[in-house]
Amino acid sequence: MRMNTQLKQQTWGFSGSFRAMASPCELLIATDDKQVAMQMLQLASDEAQRIEAKYSRFISANVLWQINHAQGKSVAIDAETYQLLLFAQQCYQLSDGLFDISAGKLMRLWRFDKNSAIPTPEILNQALLAVDFEQVKFTTTELQIPTEMYLDFGGIGKEYAVDRVANTLAQRWPDISVLVNFGGDIACPVKRVAECSPWQVGIEDPQRLDQALVSLQIRQGALATSGDTRRYIELDGVRYGHIINPKTGYPVVHAPRSVTVLGPNCLTAGMLATMAMLQGEQAEDFLTEQQVQFKIYR
Amino acid sequence: MQLTHKKNIAQALAIASCGLVNPVAEAATDDRFFSGWDIDAALMYYGEQDRVQAIEAIGDFQKQYDDESQLNLKVVFDSLTGASASGAVAQSQHQTFTRPSGDGQYIVGAGDTPLDDSFKDTRLQLSANWIEQLSLEWQSNIGVYGSREFDYTSLGVNGGIERSLNKDNTTLAISAAYTYDLLEPVGAKPVPLSAMAIRQDFISEQAFRQAFNLTRGDDSDDKQTLDLILGLTQIINANWLMQFNYGLSSVAGYLTDPYKILSVVDNSGTSQQYRYEHRPDSRLKHSLFALAKGVVAGDIVDISYRYNSDDWDINSHTFDGHYRHYFSDDFYGQLHLRYYLQSAAEFYQPFLLMGSILPEYASADYRIGEMTTYTFGIKFGHKLKGDHELSYRLEWYQQTPKNNGTALVGQLQQHELFPSLTAVIAQVSYSF
Repeated sequence: MRMNTQLKQQTWGFSGSFRAMASPCELLIATDDKQVAMQMLQLASDEAQRIEAKYSRFISANVLWQINHAQGKSVAIDAETYQLLLFAQQCYQLSDGLFDISAGKLMRLWRFDKNSAIPTPEILNQALLAVDFEQVKFTTTELQIPTEMYLDFGGIGKEYAVDRVANTLAQRWPDISVLVNFGGDIACPVKRVAECSPWQVGIEDPQRLDQALVSLQIRQGALATSGDTRRYIELDGVRYGHIINPKTGYPVVHAPRSVTVLGPNCLTAGMLATMAMLQGEQAEDFLTEQQVQFKIYR
Repeated sequence: MQLTHKKNIAQALAIASCGLVNPVAEAATDDRFFSGWDIDAALMYYGEQDRVQAIEAIGDFQKQYDDESQLNLKVVFDSLTGASASGAVAQSQHQTFTRPSGDGQYIVGAGDTPLDDSFKDTRLQLSANWIEQLSLEWQSNIGVYGSREFDYTSLGVNGGIERSLNKDNTTLAISAAYTYDLLEPVGAKPVPLSAMAIRQDFISEQAFRQAFNLTRGDDSDDKQTLDLILGLTQIINANWLMQFNYGLSSVAGYLTDPYKILSVVDNSGTSQQYRYEHRPDSRLKHSLFALAKGVVAGDIVDISYRYNSDDWDINSHTFDGHYRHYFSDDFYGQLHLRYYLQSAAEFYQPFLLMGSILPEYASADYRIGEMTTYTFGIKFGHKLKGDHELSYRLEWYQQTPKNNGTALVGQLQQHELFPSLTAVIAQVSYSF
């Protein structure tokens, strides 16, 4: 019955950690009440695990697995899945088709261990045939996708989990400032009061991993990073990043090494970072035009 | 492929994410009072045909404080009405009995099993248990218990310790409990084996009262119980586990049921008088229990056997089994079968014979006589939204007392001295 959560007392409150979604997850909690901190950490861990269990593509027989193995038949979906699909649809439209959760089959071909082989054009073309969000038909209660298609919520799942956890905590403990950090995707829903110093968030330099280079201050809001700092293939001197263009089947050319964006919530920040990545050379221009705070490493 | 013509993407995303991020009504109704608590609420009905009926409300509250500790609180409230067999035998003529208080009497018709209809009670039980994980291998628990009904108060403490071995595949447990019960019978404790005074045998109310008072002892008495249980749980493989328990229970104090009586019959089997029962003031019980629980083709099965033996010579065997089938992830059905077999206490006798020497101990209480019982139950459970579960069960209980070898004299042969009893149990539970 032991969970993987760990709580530590700090001068400013408590820090808690656990592992979920293949990432280290962290909570910074501005309270002196250990009992409350423990409850908040437990809730965060439970919720992260719930979402992971439901939507991870690495778990069989979960909701996503059922969708992907429906053999072209219609499957019943709940309100949460509907909301996720709706958001994915809006991202698809806003990105002119560059962000596409129906590209699951394509994504699986690219394995980002440093020296993996690059898929052949024939295989990529075959996979591209199964990618098209226009063919994802859904209502509030049902979803139908073509037999060959694989949905993948990987592009929004972790950000969604951060926001869900952050908002649930803020709702139950509206007076406790907390910073939710799941592997670098961060949300801080309750404003850190003026008397306290803001939360400090370090942003990694892709060239010097594990060494926080720029420290960002945050009192309220969210921050997300899209980057190929750890996930890339290098072949014949060409570096292939982990952001795949679902229209070409290949990683985006001239994409920045990492993009960090500040936003009102983690989903928004994360999607802006991903979209900026997909812009390749124009990443900076894109984010400047969106009038958001960001940090790009090339 | 440029997005630069859309300057409002950030805003559009912020709006689009609102539906997802801001918890909808479902989360908003999250009750703060219940936050962090797992609660089981149940309502149970128990009804014996023409006899006792009970309604019980159960509230079970569980809270995990961190990985290491857990608090369980339980509240049970029950209300009983109806009549239970007094121990006297049925007769061909009607019978008159004095109520336990001495105030008034009740009459039982010819051929009917005498029931004491003054049986009416409400009881409140409270218990709290704290479980503490001391280390990876050691777990401990302590608890307190209290219950109160109008003539009975019970207070108890318990504690136990568990040790896990073999990477949690084996668990050894030892636990002990101490209970103190205080009895305050209506009309005080009857004098053991004294004859019931009946108003019509006396010329005046005063003479009757005087005689009745002679059958009365102290207003209250107590008993103390010490229980000890040794347990071993062993995981056999991914699908099966087994559990073995040995229990020792020692009770000392007032163990007599102050409301039970015995008929004293003559050679024709006709009741001449009634005497209040008397039981030994100690009882030592041993029990052995074995359980196998596992998964068979996705269904959950458990079977268990219990053997009880005590120094009153009551030996019993219980065979119990459940079979649970999941029709879907959210819906299951469960069958329950139970068979119970008990031998009579050495001092049990269905009646006393006029003229024979009074034994030191005697009781005609059917509950310590020879009997078999069967239980058949079905239960269904639904998983609802947000981890809530609704379940309902219905059980039939059949109790068949047997003659322990006593020769029936005269008219007793024409009456049902060991009447069967059928009961129905219905329960609705909700967990959230």
